[in-house]
Amino acid sequence: MDLSVSLGRLRLPNPVMVASGTFGYAREMQGLVDLGRLGGILPKTITKQPRPGNAPWRTIETPAGMLNSIGLDNDGIDSFLEKLMPYLASLGVPIVVSVAGRSADEFVELAQQLDGVTGVAAVELNISCPNVSGGVDFGTDPAMCEDLVRRCREATEVPILAKLTPNVTRIADMARAASAGGADALSMINTCLGMAVDWRNRRPMLGNVMGGLSGPAIKPIALRCVYQARQVTDTPIIGIGGIANINDVMEFLVAGATAVQLGTVNFYHPRASMEVLDALPGALEELSAGSVTEVVGTLNTEKK
Amino acid sequence: MPFALEAVSTSVPVVENVQLATRTYRVRIECPQIARQVVPGQFLMLKLAGNDDPLLGRAFALYDTVDDASGQPAMVDIVYLVMGKMTARLARYQPGQMLDVWGPLGNGFEVPECDRLIMVAGGIGQTPMLALGKEYLGGRSYGQPARSVHQPQHVSLLYGVRSADLVAGEADFRAAGIDLKLASDDGSVGHHGFVTELLAHTLEETTGQRRQVVCCGPEVMMERVAEVCHSAGVPCQVSLETPMACGIGICFSCVAKIRQPDGSWDYRRTCVEGPVFDAQAIEW
Repeated sequence: MDLSVSLGRLRLPNPVMVASGTFGYAREMQGLVDLGRLGGILPKTITKQPRPGNAPWRTIETPAGMLNSIGLDNDGIDSFLEKLMPYLASLGVPIVVSVAGRSADEFVELAQQLDGVTGVAAVELNISCPNVSGGVDFGTDPAMCEDLVRRCREATEVPILAKLTPNVTRIADMARAASAGGADALSMINTCLGMAVDWRNRRPMLGNVMGGLSGPAIKPIALRCVYQARQVTDTPIIGIGGIANINDVMEFLVAGATAVQLGTVNFYHPRASMEVLDALPGALEELSAGSVTEVVGTLNTEKK
Repeated sequence: MPFALEAVSTSVPVVENVQLATRTYRVRIECPQIARQVVPGQFLMLKLAGNDDPLLGRAFALYDTVDDASGQPAMVDIVYLVMGKMTARLARYQPGQMLDVWGPLGNGFEVPECDRLIMVAGGIGQTPMLALGKEYLGGRSYGQPARSVHQPQHVSLLYGVRSADLVAGEADFRAAGIDLKLASDDGSVGHHGFVTELLAHTLEETTGQRRQVVCCGPEVMMERVAEVCHSAGVPCQVSLETPMACGIGICFSCVAKIRQPDGSWDYRRTCVEGPVFDAQAIEW
């Protein structure tokens, strides 16, 4: 069974990755997961400068999901490259570094700093975090998105992924824009903007009032976004959003994703990625497929 | 930093699930891998197996470990207060029903050599204190290899509750040889008032001895305990009960403001850098 997939210039041994912000910096998981089996690891988003993150509460459970407003809590790229990247590079797994800039220049600088670093297989542009001001415009304005992706591609040799937000009127426009800018792949989706209220105290539940909804609750939205993007672009898609088991993975592949990222499930079922990897060959066989790529985008929507 | 290197993630059966007090239960689970390793102050994440409602696991402190017939730690006791959906469902669990568990997690208590170990608990914050008291009285060992500890001459638990019906595990604490003193908000048991008043009194009585305070309970109570200890010049460790989503350091939810060596504060993850912190390091 051929599990390998290509996302533009990025080649992965298998399509099962773990999403940024849901896997720490991987070393937290080394006791629970055989990290070497993963198709790719996305460490928590890195910014130019250190960020303390948002005030608690930062997460709250909601029906079949959770809201988060972590706020890109991280120690900045210099600290990341010095303290965290050597360990990640030692794993022998493609490391896709998620970055967030406050401006196009900052995104470009971050991509340049990562370009050529040992172990860095690709850079994912987080143009979709709902919990910080600045940066998110790149995920909602097609012209800005296209320009940003193009600038990062022109300034570096490293494969560039664009992580899109579902919080737009037409996701297809954003998919088309990121593709036009030269993205190697589209990661979709980031969280859906939401909130939770404590009515007795008339207070928001999250310290930052609003946050991003993730988990099984958003899977149908993510599937729809992947499907719509597939209609308008040939750029490979990485499906993200509520993926928790092998059925979810297969649904995304059939809907048009070439690879997937498991996110929130890592919080409540730390070994989910391993179970998905165990089950993947059998699920492909069930469709009489000899490879992952054979099933990608094979959804039949003809009227019966 | 303990990154759950020895932690396991598995499904385990409930051995027993008994009520200890109003809305308070003790569940015993069979999980030898965790029972052999876990030390007082560490915690586990529990989730109802095969049930994604609620979706996320919940963090529970170790209450105690229990041996199998061969004398090896094989089971873990967790004491919990029924608070929401997960604990309400757990309270109805019968022997044989399964729980997802991952752990042991967090740093646990490590008490320096002292004459008196004074444990202060508020409400369900009593749960980490039984194993700690037993360990420091020489009644039971924890960890693999077993931790060696400096035994103090005296171990007490100052335990504050809202009312008498919420006192849980009193017999366990007494059987372990822990000097138990109760306080209640309504005066229905022990000292009528706050547990911090018992603490202030105890510290006055024991002036001159080498004392160590450990504390777990509501944040406002822990802050007050930290103040009382600070003004008496007594070292104090607190175990934070910050809400957690994952328990293993990957979500960055459970942060607390922790003072850094340069005097500034930074949000730090309670699950991997705690839950036990020096009280003076916390920016309340």
